[in-house]
Amino acid sequence: MTGDTSPAAGTAAPSPLLEIRDLHVKVGGQEVLRGISLIVRSGEVHAIMGPNGSGKSTLAHVLAGRPGYEIISGSAQFEGQDLFALAPEQRARAGLFLGFQYPVEIPGVNNAYLLKAAVNAARRERGLAELDAFEFLSVVRAKIKLMQIDESFLSRGVNEGFSGGEKKRNEILQMLVLEPKLALLDETDSGLDIDALKVVANGINTLRAAERAIVLVTHYQRMLDYVVPDYVHVLARGRIARSGDRTLALELEKRGYDWISEQAAA
Amino acid sequence: MIDRIMHDYAAVAARLPEAAVTRDTRARAMHELSRLGWPRNSDEQWRYTNLRAFERLPAFAPAVLARTGGDAAGLELPPALPGFERLLYINGVRAVPAARAPTQAAVVPGALWPAEQRLGLLCDMFATDVAALQIRGSSAIEVLFVTSAAAAGAACYPRLQLALEPDSQLQLVERHLGAPDAPTLVCASVAVDLGRGAQLTHYRLQQCGLHTVFTDTLSAQLAEEASYRVRQVAIGAASARTSAQVQLAGRGAAFSWQAIAVGRGQQVHDTALKVEHRAPGTRTEEVFRGIADERARIAFSGHIHIAASAPGADARQSLRGLIEGAGAEIDLRPRLEINTDEVKAQHGATTGALDENLMFYLLARGIDRSTARALLKWAFLGDVLRAIELPQLRSAAEHGAAGQLPDIMAIGALT
Repeated sequence: MTGDTSPAAGTAAPSPLLEIRDLHVKVGGQEVLRGISLIVRSGEVHAIMGPNGSGKSTLAHVLAGRPGYEIISGSAQFEGQDLFALAPEQRARAGLFLGFQYPVEIPGVNNAYLLKAAVNAARRERGLAELDAFEFLSVVRAKIKLMQIDESFLSRGVNEGFSGGEKKRNEILQMLVLEPKLALLDETDSGLDIDALKVVANGINTLRAAERAIVLVTHYQRMLDYVVPDYVHVLARGRIARSGDRTLALELEKRGYDWISEQAAA
Repeated sequence: MIDRIMHDYAAVAARLPEAAVTRDTRARAMHELSRLGWPRNSDEQWRYTNLRAFERLPAFAPAVLARTGGDAAGLELPPALPGFERLLYINGVRAVPAARAPTQAAVVPGALWPAEQRLGLLCDMFATDVAALQIRGSSAIEVLFVTSAAAAGAACYPRLQLALEPDSQLQLVERHLGAPDAPTLVCASVAVDLGRGAQLTHYRLQQCGLHTVFTDTLSAQLAEEASYRVRQVAIGAASARTSAQVQLAGRGAAFSWQAIAVGRGQQVHDTALKVEHRAPGTRTEEVFRGIADERARIAFSGHIHIAASAPGADARQSLRGLIEGAGAEIDLRPRLEINTDEVKAQHGATTGALDENLMFYLLARGIDRSTARALLKWAFLGDVLRAIELPQLRSAAEHGAAGQLPDIMAIGALT
């Protein structure tokens, strides 16, 4: 079973934005991903679901280039280039965004500085002129409003003293400002109350477009009520145990993960 | 070593001004230093002090002996701080004797410095002048201690004595500047006496040149409900030793020490801070952040002693060191000594490299590695720098710290 439920090859499907082939990854000497294959094309929204410890966050972090993971075998191509040959910052500038499950606090570096530096790093990569302070503010203001964040937050330290919900909103704000080609959102819904979840989902939906793709890593179905995925993949024991459309997520909501884990173990 | 110091002292003793330190106090200091002897690195209190730098100094005699004042002409001084009275000392002597000196107080002989602060005895022996300030009401004073090129190869002895009357308030800026082009000793001493309810905010910037061997010795005594806040930035000198002892003698007295030290090249910054809680409800907050780049060495020893007479004391220490250079070294020594129940005490000391989680977060936003490193170093110092509430001074401190870390200058993160 692979995760390739995208339009079959041979049709007029666009070339893959992300293509993962038989990826095996170890963490701390233990094999956590045991043969993941997945194709994500522009315009698609994929949900990666699975019980705790199934490897879904590992997948997101490996793709973003977090150190500490050992890639044993397999490959990942991003727009045709070898993703694992790129440093994390190069991946980001190429258009890959990781929304963190636990965004870190960096007191002393303010949000505006980080956002502007990040935007301009991406623009340099694309051969575009850097935004000056005025242009940057005009870009960021509308998005702050969308995420229902107070503008004063720009002068605060990155995530400093933010609540869990504010941190997640900030992640989505960063995503909106950076406009990545591929957003990997690692349990962005965790710890959110229903109002915050709606705001975050609205932000994600704003980014849905034909030229980009979104991969939602989530434990629960509830996020998918607001951000409706095209494909749902269930990870169990480091493999994609099942793929389907959004009805699979609803089935998981009813039946839990045990039946899939049991099948994966069989 | 002691013989050299005594030799230099004997040569100048007769010409040292009585008005700065009495002859009797000088003699007592000399005898005490002679009795204690020169410190050794084998003594835990002096383990990280660069004693060799002191031993290599060409002279201990003061650069200026007559109390006529140094010449301010040609010196580049920082812009005045709005609302602050400026007192300028050049090579340890008041540059322009004040026409009026409402804050000048009579010099009182202090107690002899203890063994771990014995470098203060040098200042007692050789001091050429003193800023002795008696504060009543509310004041803001900037004391600039500048070492000029004329002092190269000699020594300067900045000296500050502060007495705040009950319920008075002082914002004090103490800055040490100047870069002579040969090894020069700057040996400062500071004595602080805070009356009941007095409040002192004491900003200390040490920005001496890289030929300077710097030491400052501070003692402070706090009466009931007095508050003493120190914000210290140590970035200069080839070698710097700060030794401070603070006694929270009165009920409810509060002490806060927030300091950064940034060293590169072969700089050594060594701080020993001892706080004694002697009365109920006394509070201490210590924050130290040190960055050692290249082959620099940074040490901080924070000893908090809570006596049996200090129930309800609250003491917090947060000491953090960041090792940036392959040959750099940081030693943080927190020590809490508690002799009573019902106290709140917490301490944390960590030394290491930049946090990989923070680094990855910035990289994952496309920030290049060198900018990310610079940002995180800046963030590391940020909480202490932000505690400098005077914008002009904060900017000076930030630029001074960034000057030690050129990659920070490059990213333009300064306020």
